[in-house]
Amino acid sequence: MASVTGGGQEPEEGPRSDHASSVTDRAGSTRALDRASSGVSGQAAGQGPGRESGRRAGREASRKAAPAAFDREMVRRHAVQRAVSMLAGPLWVTASVLVMRFHFRYRIANVSRLRRQYRQIRAQTDAPMLVCANHLTLVDSFIIAWALGSGFYWLRHPDELPWNTPESTNFGRTWLSRLLIFLAKCIPITRGGAREEVGGVLVRVKYLLGRGETALLFPEAGRSRSGRVEESAAAWGVGRIVGAVPGCRVLCVYMRGRRQETWGDYPAKGDTMDVEIACIEPKSDAKGVRRSRDLAQQIVRQLIRMEEDYFDARQ
Amino acid sequence: MEQSEVMERVVKILTPWVKDEAALKNVSMETNILEDLKVNSARLVDVVIAFEDDFDIEIADEDVDQVNTVGDAVNLISGKL
Repeated sequence: MASVTGGGQEPEEGPRSDHASSVTDRAGSTRALDRASSGVSGQAAGQGPGRESGRRAGREASRKAAPAAFDREMVRRHAVQRAVSMLAGPLWVTASVLVMRFHFRYRIANVSRLRRQYRQIRAQTDAPMLVCANHLTLVDSFIIAWALGSGFYWLRHPDELPWNTPESTNFGRTWLSRLLIFLAKCIPITRGGAREEVGGVLVRVKYLLGRGETALLFPEAGRSRSGRVEESAAAWGVGRIVGAVPGCRVLCVYMRGRRQETWGDYPAKGDTMDVEIACIEPKSDAKGVRRSRDLAQQIVRQLIRMEEDYFDARQ
Repeated sequence: MEQSEVMERVVKILTPWVKDEAALKNVSMETNILEDLKVNSARLVDVVIAFEDDFDIEIADEDVDQVNTVGDAVNLISGKL
Protein backbone atom coordinates (compact mmCIF):
# COMPACT_ATOMS: atom_id res chain seq x y z
CA MET A 1 0.00 0.00 0.00
CA ALA A 2 1.47 3.31 -1.00
CA SER A 3 1.52 6.28 1.25
CA VAL A 4 -0.74 9.10 0.32
CA THR A 5 -0.79 12.61 1.59
CA GLY A 6 -4.30 13.64 2.46
CA GLY A 7 -5.69 16.31 0.19
CA GLY A 8 -7.67 18.20 2.78
CA GLN A 9 -6.75 20.71 5.43
CA GLU A 10 -4.37 19.29 8.00
CA PRO A 11 -5.15 19.77 11.67
CA GLU A 12 -2.78 21.71 13.84
CA GLU A 13 -0.69 18.77 15.02
CA GLY A 14 -0.56 17.33 11.54
CA PRO A 15 -1.33 13.62 11.55
CA ARG A 16 1.10 11.24 9.96
CA SER A 17 -1.12 10.67 6.99
CA ASP A 18 0.26 7.29 6.13
CA HIS A 19 -3.03 6.29 4.68
CA ALA A 20 -4.39 5.09 1.44
CA SER A 21 -7.96 4.31 0.70
CA SER A 22 -9.92 2.93 -2.13
CA VAL A 23 -13.31 4.03 -3.23
CA THR A 24 -15.97 2.32 -5.24
CA ASP A 25 -17.85 4.97 -7.11
CA ARG A 26 -21.26 5.06 -8.75
CA ALA A 27 -20.17 2.87 -11.63
CA GLY A 28 -18.59 0.37 -9.29
CA SER A 29 -15.09 1.18 -10.52
CA THR A 30 -12.13 1.89 -8.29
CA ARG A 31 -10.10 5.03 -8.05
CA ALA A 32 -7.61 6.37 -5.60
CA LEU A 33 -9.31 8.33 -2.90
CA ASP A 34 -6.86 11.14 -3.11
CA ARG A 35 -7.28 12.69 -6.53
CA ALA A 36 -3.86 14.25 -6.59
CA SER A 37 -1.94 11.15 -5.64
CA SER A 38 -0.43 8.67 -7.98
CA GLY A 39 0.97 5.20 -7.57
CA VAL A 40 -1.61 4.23 -5.00
CA SER A 41 -2.38 0.56 -4.92
CA GLY A 42 -5.73 0.93 -3.24
CA GLN A 43 -7.69 -2.27 -3.30
CA ALA A 44 -11.31 -1.87 -4.22
CA ALA A 45 -13.84 -3.10 -1.79
CA GLY A 46 -15.20 -6.21 -3.32
CA GLN A 47 -12.20 -6.91 -5.43
CA GLY A 48 -9.57 -9.38 -4.40
CA PRO A 49 -10.89 -10.66 -1.10
CA GLY A 50 -14.35 -11.47 -2.41
CA ARG A 51 -17.41 -12.46 -0.42
CA GLU A 52 -15.89 -15.41 1.38
CA SER A 53 -12.91 -13.50 2.72
CA GLY A 54 -15.31 -10.71 3.62
CA ARG A 55 -17.28 -13.16 5.72
CA ARG A 56 -14.03 -14.35 7.24
CA ALA A 57 -13.08 -10.78 8.08
CA GLY A 58 -16.38 -10.27 9.86
CA ARG A 59 -16.12 -13.50 11.79
CA GLU A 60 -12.53 -12.71 12.64
CA ALA A 61 -13.57 -9.30 13.99
CA SER A 62 -16.13 -10.93 16.27
CA ARG A 63 -13.83 -13.70 17.36
CA LYS A 64 -10.96 -11.36 18.18
CA ALA A 65 -13.05 -9.03 20.23
CA ALA A 66 -15.56 -11.48 21.64
CA PRO A 67 -14.42 -12.75 25.01
CA ALA A 68 -12.82 -9.72 26.55
CA ALA A 69 -14.35 -6.70 24.88
CA PHE A 70 -18.00 -7.67 24.81
CA ASP A 71 -19.54 -8.25 28.17
CA ARG A 72 -22.46 -10.65 28.41
CA GLU A 73 -24.97 -8.04 29.50
CA MET A 74 -24.30 -5.92 26.42
CA VAL A 75 -24.56 -8.98 24.17
CA ARG A 76 -27.85 -10.00 25.81
CA ARG A 77 -29.33 -6.50 25.54
CA HIS A 78 -28.30 -6.33 21.92
CA ALA A 79 -29.89 -9.69 21.13
CA VAL A 80 -33.17 -8.63 22.75
CA GLN A 81 -33.31 -5.26 20.99
CA ARG A 82 -32.37 -6.83 17.65
CA ALA A 83 -35.11 -9.45 17.96
CA VAL A 84 -37.75 -6.93 18.98
CA SER A 85 -36.78 -4.41 16.32
CA MET A 86 -36.80 -7.11 13.64
CA LEU A 87 -40.37 -7.98 14.61
CA ALA A 88 -41.38 -4.32 14.74
CA GLY A 89 -39.35 -3.39 11.63
CA PRO A 90 -42.04 -3.90 9.00
CA LEU A 91 -44.34 -1.63 10.98
CA TRP A 92 -42.02 1.25 11.71
CA VAL A 93 -40.22 1.23 8.38
CA THR A 94 -43.55 1.32 6.52
CA ALA A 95 -44.95 3.97 8.86
CA SER A 96 -41.92 6.24 8.59
CA VAL A 97 -41.85 6.02 4.79
CA LEU A 98 -45.57 6.78 4.62
CA VAL A 99 -45.13 9.80 6.89
CA MET A 100 -42.20 11.07 4.82
CA ARG A 101 -43.96 10.52 1.51
CA PHE A 102 -47.46 11.67 2.31
CA HIS A 103 -47.19 13.99 5.30
CA PHE A 104 -43.88 15.70 4.52
CA ARG A 105 -44.24 14.95 0.78
CA TYR A 106 -40.52 14.22 0.46
CA ARG A 107 -39.14 12.66 -2.67
CA ILE A 108 -35.82 11.00 -3.30
CA ALA A 109 -34.35 11.70 -6.71
CA ASN A 110 -33.29 8.66 -8.74
CA VAL A 111 -34.23 6.27 -5.97
CA SER A 112 -34.24 3.21 -8.24
CA ARG A 113 -30.71 3.94 -9.45
CA LEU A 114 -29.55 4.48 -5.86
CA ARG A 115 -31.02 1.23 -4.61
CA ARG A 116 -29.52 -0.67 -7.52
CA GLN A 117 -26.14 0.89 -6.78
CA TYR A 118 -26.46 -0.02 -3.10
CA ARG A 119 -27.34 -3.62 -3.93
CA GLN A 120 -24.32 -3.83 -6.24
CA ILE A 121 -22.03 -2.62 -3.48
CA ARG A 122 -23.56 -5.07 -1.05
CA ALA A 123 -23.22 -7.93 -3.48
CA GLN A 124 -19.46 -7.44 -3.77
CA THR A 125 -18.61 -8.75 -0.33
CA ASP A 126 -20.05 -9.56 3.08
CA ALA A 127 -17.29 -7.59 4.81
CA PRO A 128 -18.54 -5.42 7.67
CA MET A 129 -20.07 -2.17 6.52
CA LEU A 130 -20.44 1.08 8.38
CA VAL A 131 -22.64 3.78 6.88
CA CYS A 132 -21.36 7.33 7.35
CA ALA A 133 -23.32 10.34 6.21
CA ASN A 134 -23.37 14.10 6.35
CA HIS A 135 -25.88 15.37 8.88
CA LEU A 136 -28.26 18.27 8.41
CA THR A 137 -31.63 17.22 9.86
CA LEU A 138 -33.17 15.00 12.52
CA VAL A 139 -34.68 12.63 9.95
CA ASP A 140 -31.50 11.90 8.01
CA SER A 141 -31.32 8.29 9.18
CA PHE A 142 -34.89 7.63 8.02
CA ILE A 143 -34.17 9.18 4.64
CA ILE A 144 -31.06 7.03 4.25
CA ALA A 145 -33.02 3.86 5.02
CA TRP A 146 -35.68 4.92 2.53
CA ALA A 147 -33.09 5.78 -0.11
CA LEU A 148 -31.10 2.57 0.12
CA GLY A 149 -33.89 0.02 0.12
CA SER A 150 -37.60 -0.56 -0.11
CA GLY A 151 -39.59 -1.84 2.86
CA PHE A 152 -39.61 -5.24 1.21
CA TYR A 153 -35.81 -5.17 0.83
CA TRP A 154 -35.33 -4.43 4.54
CA LEU A 155 -37.74 -7.22 5.38
CA ARG A 156 -35.55 -9.62 3.43
CA HIS A 157 -32.28 -8.16 4.76
CA PRO A 158 -33.09 -6.96 8.28
CA ASP A 159 -29.46 -6.90 9.41
CA GLU A 160 -28.58 -4.47 6.64
CA LEU A 161 -31.05 -1.93 8.02
CA PRO A 162 -28.61 0.28 9.94
CA TRP A 163 -28.50 0.73 13.67
CA ASN A 164 -28.47 4.40 14.63
CA THR A 165 -26.84 6.34 17.44
CA PRO A 166 -29.11 9.34 18.06
CA GLU A 167 -28.24 12.02 20.56
CA SER A 168 -30.07 10.96 23.71
CA THR A 169 -31.02 14.52 24.62
CA ASN A 170 -32.90 14.83 21.31
CA PHE A 171 -34.71 11.51 21.39
CA GLY A 172 -34.70 10.04 24.86
CA ARG A 173 -36.79 12.52 26.82
CA THR A 174 -40.09 10.64 27.16
CA TRP A 175 -40.91 6.96 27.63
CA LEU A 176 -42.66 6.97 24.24
CA SER A 177 -39.60 8.32 22.43
CA ARG A 178 -37.40 5.87 24.32
CA LEU A 179 -39.69 3.02 23.23
CA LEU A 180 -39.66 4.20 19.63
CA ILE A 181 -35.90 4.48 19.44
CA PHE A 182 -35.62 1.02 21.02
CA LEU A 183 -37.86 -0.40 18.29
CA ALA A 184 -36.10 1.57 15.57
CA LYS A 185 -32.65 0.01 16.13
CA CYS A 186 -31.25 2.96 18.00
CA ILE A 187 -28.43 3.07 20.53
CA PRO A 188 -28.68 6.49 22.17
CA ILE A 189 -25.45 8.33 22.85
CA THR A 190 -24.73 11.47 24.82
CA ARG A 191 -22.43 13.70 22.83
CA GLY A 192 -19.62 14.88 25.05
CA GLY A 193 -20.88 12.54 27.75
CA ALA A 194 -18.80 10.42 30.11
CA ARG A 195 -15.98 8.80 28.17
CA GLU A 196 -16.88 5.32 29.43
CA GLU A 197 -20.48 5.67 28.28
CA VAL A 198 -19.41 6.86 24.83
CA GLY A 199 -16.81 4.08 24.72
CA GLY A 200 -19.53 1.55 25.59
CA VAL A 201 -21.60 2.62 22.59
CA LEU A 202 -18.57 2.33 20.32
CA VAL A 203 -17.89 -1.19 21.63
CA ARG A 204 -21.46 -2.17 20.85
CA VAL A 205 -21.19 -0.79 17.32
CA LYS A 206 -17.96 -2.75 16.81
CA TYR A 207 -19.73 -5.85 18.09
CA LEU A 208 -22.72 -5.57 15.78
CA LEU A 209 -20.54 -4.80 12.74
CA GLY A 210 -18.50 -7.90 13.48
CA ARG A 211 -21.73 -9.90 13.49
CA GLY A 212 -22.55 -8.72 9.98
CA GLU A 213 -25.05 -6.08 11.01
CA THR A 214 -24.85 -2.49 9.83
CA ALA A 215 -24.61 0.80 11.69
CA LEU A 216 -25.06 4.40 10.65
CA LEU A 217 -22.87 7.06 12.19
CA PHE A 218 -22.54 10.73 11.45
CA PRO A 219 -18.80 11.41 11.55
CA GLU A 220 -19.36 15.08 12.30
CA ALA A 221 -21.04 13.88 15.52
CA GLY A 222 -23.85 16.44 15.31
CA ARG A 223 -25.78 18.31 12.66
CA SER A 224 -23.45 20.52 10.71
CA ARG A 225 -23.98 24.06 12.00
CA SER A 226 -22.43 25.59 8.90
CA GLY A 227 -24.63 23.55 6.58
CA ARG A 228 -21.52 22.05 4.99
CA VAL A 229 -19.41 19.03 5.90
CA GLU A 230 -16.73 20.23 8.28
CA GLU A 231 -13.44 18.41 8.53
CA SER A 232 -12.66 20.12 11.80
CA ALA A 233 -15.76 18.52 13.32
CA ALA A 234 -14.67 14.98 12.49
CA ALA A 235 -15.32 12.79 15.50
CA TRP A 236 -12.60 10.21 15.94
CA GLY A 237 -15.00 7.58 17.31
CA VAL A 238 -15.90 6.57 13.79
CA GLY A 239 -12.20 5.97 13.10
CA ARG A 240 -11.94 3.87 16.25
CA ILE A 241 -14.68 1.62 14.98
CA VAL A 242 -13.29 1.27 11.46
CA GLY A 243 -9.83 0.60 12.84
CA ALA A 244 -11.09 -2.08 15.20
CA VAL A 245 -13.16 -4.05 12.70
CA PRO A 246 -10.91 -5.84 10.19
CA GLY A 247 -11.91 -5.28 6.58
CA CYS A 248 -14.55 -2.72 7.52
CA ARG A 249 -15.88 -0.80 4.54
CA VAL A 250 -17.55 2.54 4.83
CA LEU A 251 -20.55 3.47 2.75
CA CYS A 252 -20.36 7.26 2.53
CA VAL A 253 -23.74 8.85 1.96
CA TYR A 254 -24.12 12.47 0.95
CA MET A 255 -27.68 13.76 0.97
CA ARG A 256 -29.27 17.13 0.76
CA GLY A 257 -32.72 18.50 0.11
CA ARG A 258 -32.80 20.83 -2.88
CA ARG A 259 -34.26 23.53 -0.64
CA GLN A 260 -31.94 22.72 2.26
CA GLU A 261 -29.77 25.80 2.75
CA THR A 262 -28.39 24.87 6.14
CA TRP A 263 -29.02 22.58 9.10
CA GLY A 264 -32.43 22.28 10.74
CA ASP A 265 -34.85 19.86 12.38
CA TYR A 266 -36.61 18.73 9.20
CA PRO A 267 -36.21 19.27 5.47
CA ALA A 268 -38.80 21.62 3.97
CA LYS A 269 -42.15 20.01 3.17
CA GLY A 270 -42.30 18.80 -0.39
CA ASP A 271 -38.52 18.85 -0.78
CA THR A 272 -36.68 16.50 -3.12
CA MET A 273 -33.62 14.78 -1.67
CA ASP A 274 -30.52 14.21 -3.72
CA VAL A 275 -28.58 11.25 -2.36
CA GLU A 276 -25.22 9.91 -3.54
CA ILE A 277 -23.26 6.97 -2.19
CA ALA A 278 -19.64 5.82 -2.44
CA CYS A 279 -17.97 2.89 -0.77
CA ILE A 280 -14.46 3.27 0.63
CA GLU A 281 -12.13 1.17 2.70
CA PRO A 282 -10.09 3.57 4.83
CA LYS A 283 -6.62 2.42 5.79
CA SER A 284 -3.89 3.85 7.96
CA ASP A 285 -0.43 2.78 8.99
CA ALA A 286 -0.49 5.08 12.00
CA LYS A 287 -1.03 3.69 15.48
CA GLY A 288 -3.26 4.30 18.49
CA VAL A 289 -5.38 7.40 18.67
CA ARG A 290 -3.61 8.95 15.69
CA ARG A 291 -4.76 6.04 13.54
CA SER A 292 -8.37 6.54 14.59
CA ARG A 293 -8.21 10.22 13.73
CA ASP A 294 -6.57 9.42 10.41
CA LEU A 295 -9.33 6.97 9.48
CA ALA A 296 -12.07 9.38 10.56
CA GLN A 297 -10.53 12.15 8.49
CA GLN A 298 -10.48 9.95 5.38
CA ILE A 299 -14.21 9.40 5.75
CA VAL A 300 -14.98 13.07 6.28
CA ARG A 301 -12.79 14.06 3.35
CA GLN A 302 -14.71 11.64 1.14
CA LEU A 303 -17.97 13.31 2.24
CA ILE A 304 -16.43 16.71 1.51
CA ARG A 305 -15.52 15.55 -2.01
CA MET A 306 -19.07 14.30 -2.53
CA GLU A 307 -20.41 17.64 -1.34
CA GLU A 308 -18.13 19.49 -3.75
CA ASP A 309 -19.35 17.26 -6.59
CA TYR A 310 -22.94 17.93 -5.53
CA PHE A 311 -22.57 21.70 -5.64
CA ASP A 312 -20.52 21.57 -8.84
CA ALA A 313 -23.34 19.61 -10.47
CA ARG A 314 -25.92 22.12 -9.28
CA GLN A 315 -24.15 25.06 -10.88
CA MET B 1 9.55 12.38 35.90
CA GLU B 2 7.80 13.90 38.89
CA GLN B 3 4.00 13.90 38.81
CA SER B 4 3.97 17.67 39.34
CA GLU B 5 6.05 18.11 36.22
CA VAL B 6 3.70 15.87 34.23
CA MET B 7 0.75 17.87 35.58
CA GLU B 8 2.37 21.15 34.55
CA ARG B 9 3.00 19.90 31.01
CA VAL B 10 -0.51 18.43 30.75
CA VAL B 11 -2.07 21.76 31.69
CA LYS B 12 0.16 23.57 29.21
CA ILE B 13 -0.92 21.17 26.44
CA LEU B 14 -4.60 21.52 27.38
CA THR B 15 -4.54 25.32 27.44
CA PRO B 16 -5.15 26.02 23.71
CA TRP B 17 -8.31 23.87 23.78
CA VAL B 18 -9.74 25.25 27.02
CA LYS B 19 -12.84 27.40 26.57
CA ASP B 20 -13.27 28.30 30.24
CA GLU B 21 -10.02 30.04 31.06
CA ALA B 22 -11.20 30.95 34.55
CA ALA B 23 -11.40 27.23 35.37
CA LEU B 24 -7.83 26.88 34.18
CA LYS B 25 -6.62 29.17 36.97
CA ASN B 26 -7.95 26.78 39.60
CA VAL B 27 -7.02 23.60 37.79
CA SER B 28 -6.38 20.53 39.95
CA MET B 29 -6.14 16.77 39.54
CA GLU B 30 -9.94 16.63 40.01
CA THR B 31 -10.74 19.16 37.28
CA ASN B 32 -12.92 17.56 34.60
CA ILE B 33 -11.49 18.18 31.16
CA LEU B 34 -14.80 18.29 29.28
CA GLU B 35 -17.18 19.65 31.90
CA ASP B 36 -14.99 22.10 33.83
CA LEU B 37 -12.49 23.21 31.22
CA LYS B 38 -15.09 22.97 28.44
CA VAL B 39 -12.77 21.26 26.01
CA ASN B 40 -14.76 20.17 22.92
CA SER B 41 -15.20 16.39 23.13
CA ALA B 42 -14.48 16.01 19.41
CA ARG B 43 -11.13 17.70 19.96
CA LEU B 44 -10.11 15.43 22.81
CA VAL B 45 -8.34 13.31 20.23
CA ASP B 46 -6.12 16.27 19.30
CA VAL B 47 -5.28 16.77 22.96
CA VAL B 48 -4.35 13.12 23.35
CA ILE B 49 -2.18 13.22 20.24
CA ALA B 50 -0.45 16.28 21.66
CA PHE B 51 0.19 14.24 24.84
CA GLU B 52 1.69 11.48 22.68
CA ASP B 53 3.99 13.89 20.89
CA ASP B 54 5.03 15.86 23.94
CA PHE B 55 5.78 12.85 26.16
CA ASP B 56 6.83 10.52 23.32
CA ILE B 57 4.37 7.84 24.33
CA GLU B 58 1.61 5.91 22.56
CA ILE B 59 -1.93 6.00 23.87
CA ALA B 60 -4.52 3.43 22.85
CA ASP B 61 -8.09 4.36 22.01
CA GLU B 62 -9.40 2.45 24.99
CA ASP B 63 -7.10 4.34 27.36
CA VAL B 64 -8.82 7.57 26.40
CA ASP B 65 -12.13 6.24 27.75
CA GLN B 66 -10.60 6.36 31.23
CA VAL B 67 -9.61 10.02 30.93
CA ASN B 68 -12.18 12.31 32.47
CA THR B 69 -10.11 14.54 34.72
CA VAL B 70 -6.71 16.19 34.52
CA GLY B 71 -5.60 13.67 37.14
CA ASP B 72 -6.70 10.79 34.91
CA ALA B 73 -4.53 12.18 32.13
CA VAL B 74 -1.56 12.68 34.45
CA ASN B 75 -1.86 9.14 35.82
CA LEU B 76 -2.23 7.66 32.32
CA ILE B 77 0.85 9.48 31.08
CA SER B 78 2.88 8.75 34.23
CA GLY B 79 2.11 5.06 33.80
CA LYS B 80 3.56 5.09 30.30
CA LEU B 81 6.77 7.00 31.05
